[in-house]
Amino acid sequence: MEDDEEPPMTAAESLNLIARQNERTRRELGASPARLLGVWAFAWLVGWGLVFLADPSHAKPLMPGWVAAIVVGALFLGAISYSTYYGSRVNRGIRGPSRRIGAMYGWSWLISFAALGLINTSVVNAGRLDPNTISLLWSGTSLLLTGALYLAGGMLWQDKLQYGFGVWIIVCGGASVLVGVPGNFLVLCLAGGGGFLVASLVYFVRQRRGGPAGTSEQ
Amino acid sequence: MTDAGLPELDPVIHAQARLRVTVALAGLRHGDQITFPRLQQLLDMTAGNLSTHLRKLEDAGYVDITKAYEHRTPVTLVKLTAKGRAAFESYTDALHRLLDATGGS
Repeated sequence: MEDDEEPPMTAAESLNLIARQNERTRRELGASPARLLGVWAFAWLVGWGLVFLADPSHAKPLMPGWVAAIVVGALFLGAISYSTYYGSRVNRGIRGPSRRIGAMYGWSWLISFAALGLINTSVVNAGRLDPNTISLLWSGTSLLLTGALYLAGGMLWQDKLQYGFGVWIIVCGGASVLVGVPGNFLVLCLAGGGGFLVASLVYFVRQRRGGPAGTSEQ
Repeated sequence: MTDAGLPELDPVIHAQARLRVTVALAGLRHGDQITFPRLQQLLDMTAGNLSTHLRKLEDAGYVDITKAYEHRTPVTLVKLTAKGRAAFESYTDALHRLLDATGGS
């Protein structure tokens, strides 16, 4: 073929080329959400860690509770923006089921968390719940919903790791209610944030191992 | 590689550029299509180069190229056909058999 200026490849070269291009395609098309999960791990570990350390039950709270709450809010907004950016970037130029599923999945988070916020706020306003119960209500329900959405993600992308992570987050939700305040924040921080960190590392290692030997990412 | 027992490598796929195009397209999820510019970015190829190779793959029936309009802007969508996917699978099979036969690793 006149346009094939390259010399013919050996079978080994050819397999190596396949592995390299495959790795790149998978990385760019989002098969490995290591960085995304890393961002969430940071938000949970730092945010809930601060809320725990700022709890008034400590002899010396690290900072006023409202400061910690603002930090958590900012970290989560940042992580949500990054996720939205990640989702749009991964599906850029892709048409078909993947893009549709990705968009539906993204909206599922937004819709269900908006409803959760509305329900919890109404419950809090309607009843005479003490601050500790309110705190447990929020940590328990948001972990449950987060976990359930990861279960759905695991089913959609046939990803056992993601499904297992969903199960773990749901277990954390139950545990957070059982341990009470302020231990629930520690569960959110270490078990929840730690879970994100472990998941992120597993994807990272997998991505590395998936590539051919001796090929670094850049 | 001329021994009678050794498998033949599909000449359409067995060329660096077209092999990479095929691998990238095979990496899409079932039923998905990819736009020409995104494919170009995944491969770091010039538009002219990619067009040439896509045309060869299309002529062999391995690739399906659709022109569509999105918000009045023309888009070129590319995907691997079932025939292309099968050809890629038998190509990689052949590579593995070649390696086994020649004792390479």
